Amino acid sequence: MTPEQQTQAAHDAFLKKKKEKAAARRQKPEEKAELGMTSLMDIVSILVIYLLKSYASDPVVINPTAGQKIPLSVADASIRDGMPVFVTVRGITFMDKKLVTMTADGDVDPAMVQNHLIGPLFDSFSEEADKAKQMTENRGTEWEGRLIIVGDQLLKFSTLVDVLYTAGRAEFKEFTFCVIKKGG
Amino acid sequence: MAKRKKNEEAEIEANLLPVMNIMFLLIPALLMAMEFASMAAINVSPPKFSAAPSEAPPEEKKDEQKPLDLKVFIMEDGYRVEASGQQEGAEAGKAADSSKPTIGLAKAGAPLDDFERYDYDALEAKAKEYKKLFPNDVTVKISAEANVPMQSLITTMDALAGRTCKIGKFMKGTEDIPADCYFWQPIIEGGAG
Repeated sequence: MTPEQQTQAAHDAFLKKKKEKAAARRQKPEEKAELGMTSLMDIVSILVIYLLKSYASDPVVINPTAGQKIPLSVADASIRDGMPVFVTVRGITFMDKKLVTMTADGDVDPAMVQNHLIGPLFDSFSEEADKAKQMTENRGTEWEGRLIIVGDQLLKFSTLVDVLYTAGRAEFKEFTFCVIKKGG
Repeated sequence: MAKRKKNEEAEIEANLLPVMNIMFLLIPALLMAMEFASMAAINVSPPKFSAAPSEAPPEEKKDEQKPLDLKVFIMEDGYRVEASGQQEGAEAGKAADSSKPTIGLAKAGAPLDDFERYDYDALEAKAKEYKKLFPNDVTVKISAEANVPMQSLITTMDALAGRTCKIGKFMKGTEDIPADCYFWQPIIEGGAG
């Protein structure tokens, strides 16, 4: 036998053995692969319990605007229902609308303010206050007129006073500063 | 007998797939309503603009003890504290006659965005002193210079209320006001420039 013939014979024998194995495998009943659900179930259950524990129970869910740093405080009183206004060093957002843009110094654009009254903000406050008053009247309750001020750590006192004054002119009666609980 | 025993031992596996489906739907729903940082509220009274001269007190109150009328003005170089119309540290009889702060800075020369620049401990101690003299008073008028940041204002409010004061349960009406709460009802005053 030449070396080529020997190689060919070995190759044929290998193929024959492979075919036999395949035939034997085909005759065997197929085993059903099962996924181990128990461990997955454990993980998911723990996750659900954790999320349920951190579920926000406040009546108002505050989602700060991008880049906003809400001030920290040791206060522990919970937030009561009201209309949130987001006041940052970049602008003022109310009812998902950015109404006022700030100057580079973090002040309200001087063209928008007159004697502490921020024009576009006053219009929007008045409109929403009227809507809320009408809704509460229809329900036979009294409008509380609560405004939640979601400020920024760097927000200037002068801007804050302007916002409070504007809200007061639009007949908001109660003001709440939203803060993040220290160590909470 | 052996066959019966075999039948009894046959395991019945619970079908967990429907439960898993619900769980997987619950996860995004809960994630959306998750509270990443717990929020709290500080109730404030609206600004009163002190441009107009203050009204004279009514005649019948002249004989009574002067009300505390605590006022704290946050300046860029410290706190100016005023009680019963008299500025702390100023000459008696001369109301608010000093432009110097009553409580200086804790970190002199620190920029305004360094929120630890004010001496909150000294302010809290001062609030405690006043609370001893006027135990029924809970309001404080706070004003500040235009550039004072909100974080400094909030921490000042915390110091005046007492940093161990927890009024959450009192606000819900389940407990009385704790003894370590001093002046927890701030009134923001504007018109300070």
